[in-house]
Amino acid sequence: MSYTQKEIIDLVRPTKVHRKVYTDPEVFDLEMERLWAKTWIYIGHESQVQDKGSYITLNYGKVPVVMVRDTDMEVHVLHNRCGHKGVKLVDKACGKIPAFRCCYHGWRYRLDGKLLGVPYMESYEDTAFNKEDPQYSMQKLRSDSVRGFVFATMNADAPDLRTWMGGAADVMENLCDRAPDGEVEAAGGVLRYEHECNWKMFIENLNDMMHPMVVHRSVVECARDYIKTLPPDSPRLDEAEILLPFGASYEVMNDSITGFKYGHHYDGGKTSIHADYTLDPEYAAAMKSAYGEARMNEILSFNTHNTLYYPSLTIKSAIQNIRVVRPIAYNKTIIETWSFRLKGAPDSMLKKTLLYSRLINSNGSMVGPDDLTAYFRAQQGLESEASDWIEMHRHFGKDEVLTDRVIGKGTSDLDVRTQYTAWREYMTVAA
Amino acid sequence: MGVVAISANKQEEIERFLYLEASYLDRPDLDNWIDLYTDEGTYWMPAIPDQKDPDNHISLFYDDRVIMEVRRRNFVHSAAASKDYDVRASHIISNIQVTDMDEETGDCTVTSNFHCWLYYNDKQTPYAGRYTHELISDGLSYKIQSKRVDIINCDATLNTIIIYI
Repeated sequence: MSYTQKEIIDLVRPTKVHRKVYTDPEVFDLEMERLWAKTWIYIGHESQVQDKGSYITLNYGKVPVVMVRDTDMEVHVLHNRCGHKGVKLVDKACGKIPAFRCCYHGWRYRLDGKLLGVPYMESYEDTAFNKEDPQYSMQKLRSDSVRGFVFATMNADAPDLRTWMGGAADVMENLCDRAPDGEVEAAGGVLRYEHECNWKMFIENLNDMMHPMVVHRSVVECARDYIKTLPPDSPRLDEAEILLPFGASYEVMNDSITGFKYGHHYDGGKTSIHADYTLDPEYAAAMKSAYGEARMNEILSFNTHNTLYYPSLTIKSAIQNIRVVRPIAYNKTIIETWSFRLKGAPDSMLKKTLLYSRLINSNGSMVGPDDLTAYFRAQQGLESEASDWIEMHRHFGKDEVLTDRVIGKGTSDLDVRTQYTAWREYMTVAA
Repeated sequence: MGVVAISANKQEEIERFLYLEASYLDRPDLDNWIDLYTDEGTYWMPAIPDQKDPDNHISLFYDDRVIMEVRRRNFVHSAAASKDYDVRASHIISNIQVTDMDEETGDCTVTSNFHCWLYYNDKQTPYAGRYTHELISDGLSYKIQSKRVDIINCDATLNTIIIYI
């Protein structure tokens, strides 16, 4: 790697960042090594591996891993790699197995990754090969979960998951508290959307509250135009409730952004683009009977927009939808959209979550493709050397710095500054 | 699903109708396309093979009249950056089979295979799969009550699908 420590430090200034953080493949490789491998990465939700032997596969950065439910019901995250010749052991998105068995030479592993058997062991007689040597087992990643959301890290020295999340954990708690039974489960599948842009462009857009009224103006205007053609006493439209707030003014978007150590942040709190959704009466009744009215109101009035668990997970507690960032190359990223069912809530709640995911995040939606157009044009535009710097001045110097968090206006660049503070720290530690 | 025996005339009438719909999507001309649908008509592109319903699982598209009306306007709106690029398509429909026919009303269910090449933003992308049309007959022609579009790579990682297939 040709970047010196100083050159990495110099890529990020308090109010600007160098274009190479998006355009240089070498920076991407360093990010995978120093940032992604060193922090907690979202793997999946425990509800995706409900039975013994159930597994899901994914890439942690560039590394293939598998999340699996063991016979004692513990969940492990393992390197998806045979200890023999490195062959991926399972290659479906999800499945169920009694044990891992390699398709090449038939090596078998327990669900916790321990090597069980090697065919024709006689052939290793009088050699130094020792089946019990842990290097021949599937390697386990350090993993932990919050309310069923499983994260893993390749860094033995990373802080524990809760400490790492800090105050941003409140939103994950809130997402789950919105279930009358206090639990959520992944439901309704996933959409995988290829983005021709650097992974950071996607997460930097999440709490960029200056873009919706520009990027999403067309769909908001078209929805308004259509509604005008309907008779005045027409029933309320879920589609309108979801789409119209994307056209909210700068003033409405200005509630607040709260940033945390390690790059996490959320937008809103008192209000958000989700704040005016009609409360389903059947859901309200279930919540009231589960929590009592005061606690129910407390849960439902914590209104955030997007919450980022830097760098891999972004959640929307108010609509129970999450997006997961899977970087492929400096200019290619896969964004997964998952929806969650609130246990104990009527089916109408999941239906609305799926409507949201489809209307806003689907490859066929009228919102996501306009965001993506801005990202890939930025990816292309930043090849220009007209200027090396991307500014992030907005409300700089006006953030309120508390012991565990930084709070600024909703239209602040605080979210991006928070990310790059963390980025620089990860990228320069023990290089 | 079984195949219903129908007259050659009927078969041709149905085929002509499917070709008309495809020709509006070739251009694409959503203002004329939407008129082929009933007021309750839906356009559904599932996200997994054999998806049972659009309510309990995510779909790539599931448009009712409301979303179709918004999409029709948005497709030509000058502020939608993703629509800055020309969209051109070429649909081929074949293996057209009537799988259900109400002899009294003429309403029918029609399945077909399609190949669609879509040109958008300097890229040409092939889509292939199966259509299932539920058609309502008014004696002269048809309206679409539902169109289901199962693309064979529906559960793969996909890029933007800028228009109905």
